[in-house]
Amino acid sequence: MSTDAKTCPVEAQLPCLAHLRAEYCAPSLAPGAPYLAALPALITGALLFLAASGLVLAVHYDPAHGFASLQYIAHNVNNGWLVRGFHATGTTLVFGAVFLLLFRSLYTRAYRAPGQLAWLISVKLFAFLLLTAYLGYVLTDGAVSYWSLTDAANAAQSLTGIPGLLGTWFFGGPAGPGTLARLLVFHAILALGAVALVFALRSAAKVLAPKATGADAVSFHPAYTAQYFAAFAVFALIFALLVFFAPHFGQNPLNASAANPLIIPAALTPPWYLRPVSAIASVFPGAYGGIFGVIAALAVLAATPWLDRSGPHGRPGTLYRILTVLLALDVLGLGLAYSCPSALSSILVTVTTVWYFLHFLVLTPLVTSLEAE
Amino acid sequence: MAEASGHAVEEGTESRRSFLKILTVSAGAVGLGAVVWPLISALTPDADSLAAAHLIVNVSGIAENTAISVTWGGLPIYIRKLTAQEIADAQAVIPSTLPDPADFTDRVKPGYESFVVVVGLNTGAPCELEGNAPSDTRGPFGGWLCPCDGSVYDPLGRVRGGPARKNLAIPRFVFLNDAQIQFG
Repeated sequence: MSTDAKTCPVEAQLPCLAHLRAEYCAPSLAPGAPYLAALPALITGALLFLAASGLVLAVHYDPAHGFASLQYIAHNVNNGWLVRGFHATGTTLVFGAVFLLLFRSLYTRAYRAPGQLAWLISVKLFAFLLLTAYLGYVLTDGAVSYWSLTDAANAAQSLTGIPGLLGTWFFGGPAGPGTLARLLVFHAILALGAVALVFALRSAAKVLAPKATGADAVSFHPAYTAQYFAAFAVFALIFALLVFFAPHFGQNPLNASAANPLIIPAALTPPWYLRPVSAIASVFPGAYGGIFGVIAALAVLAATPWLDRSGPHGRPGTLYRILTVLLALDVLGLGLAYSCPSALSSILVTVTTVWYFLHFLVLTPLVTSLEAE
Repeated sequence: MAEASGHAVEEGTESRRSFLKILTVSAGAVGLGAVVWPLISALTPDADSLAAAHLIVNVSGIAENTAISVTWGGLPIYIRKLTAQEIADAQAVIPSTLPDPADFTDRVKPGYESFVVVVGLNTGAPCELEGNAPSDTRGPFGGWLCPCDGSVYDPLGRVRGGPARKNLAIPRFVFLNDAQIQFG
């Protein structure tokens, strides 16, 4: 592959092409980056794919008859069942990649200087995706998501002061016929925000990527495009398996029936990617408890670079790594315990929530300062 | 790697690499096409709306000198069977004397000259026209009459008097056979 910076007339008139060539074809990168370094690029691709399938769904979706219009999409629109499967499974893959990205950053301590900004953007992306995914879940207008929306909108009504005003503005009062129409717009706008954030994340990650000069250096194309392509192929294979063999993966089966304003389902369990954060929200009591739980869970996650007391040069310790794996199991346990409500599961949810906050607020500062010595 | 190998091996590596490259890019292109195709086809009309847009109407049961009204695309469509006398009368009219000149052949399909298919809306004040049944008031030319502004049409749907200045619109349709016409 030629990498000489011979300028052609088009590049002189269109500088962005020259920038692209300098970015992707100049040998400046160190070889041998792990395959998981492709995660932000995979998330970008998956989000753009969600945008494309979401646009097609939006053409046929009718917020006044949300559930019925999704039935219409599945049964009448050409390949509509597949497009809906694309959107649902694409969401699963985006969250799988984001959870993996967050875990990898925690495990390798990539959040430490100079990576704090990339870490903060990752957490912000996660927060945006959670809200976007919640709105998308509500738009399905099924028996469970209907009640989830009703509860959320009613809770927003009961808040006072600025949170109450914001909540009332967001939901437009108690859930009614027009609520889904506004949430459809918010869903699309937040999704655009998530796309912008993932581009910011890739820009920040590019600065952090190991550099090289001289004979060792490779250019992004073709050294890493080939690697990204291989990572993408695995990603696409998982996607294909899920979309064709498990299109309802991680969804509450009760939500496949139409909403009934007179019947509250036994459990308001959201899709799998919302379960850990819903579980944490369910632990805190009171009108502000749920929103406090969500914000606190994301805030301690975002604060990790400052909770890590090992300093910029401390070596990653074994104990910290074990704790990070335990945290991953804890988040998995949060989601699983929240999936099937019972007396035991509510105890498990409380325990795992306590462990989650314990990990960030106590164990992380303690273990990192111990291991730094 | 290539420097250590001989020239022949290098050549082989290059051709193998370009073959793999072609293979990979082709597989990627096919995969991308397979993913994009459902998104594109989901924006094409579904079977229900295609059937509604290409309505098929049986015209064999229409009596001479009578019109039926069907709804297509939200519009009232009048399908009228002419009598031999009406055809002869219509052919005798000199088009240049009409408000909106149109020949007999402009208003009917060749081979099916006894059928007139028009949009049954007055081209002046937008009203549904009267005159489908022989017993209706049809105006002086035996065609249709507008109950709102009094515009008069002949059996071919050409305007012959009144505020309206335009002939009745002719929808898109074809004769599938002697008995059936298809719109759209």
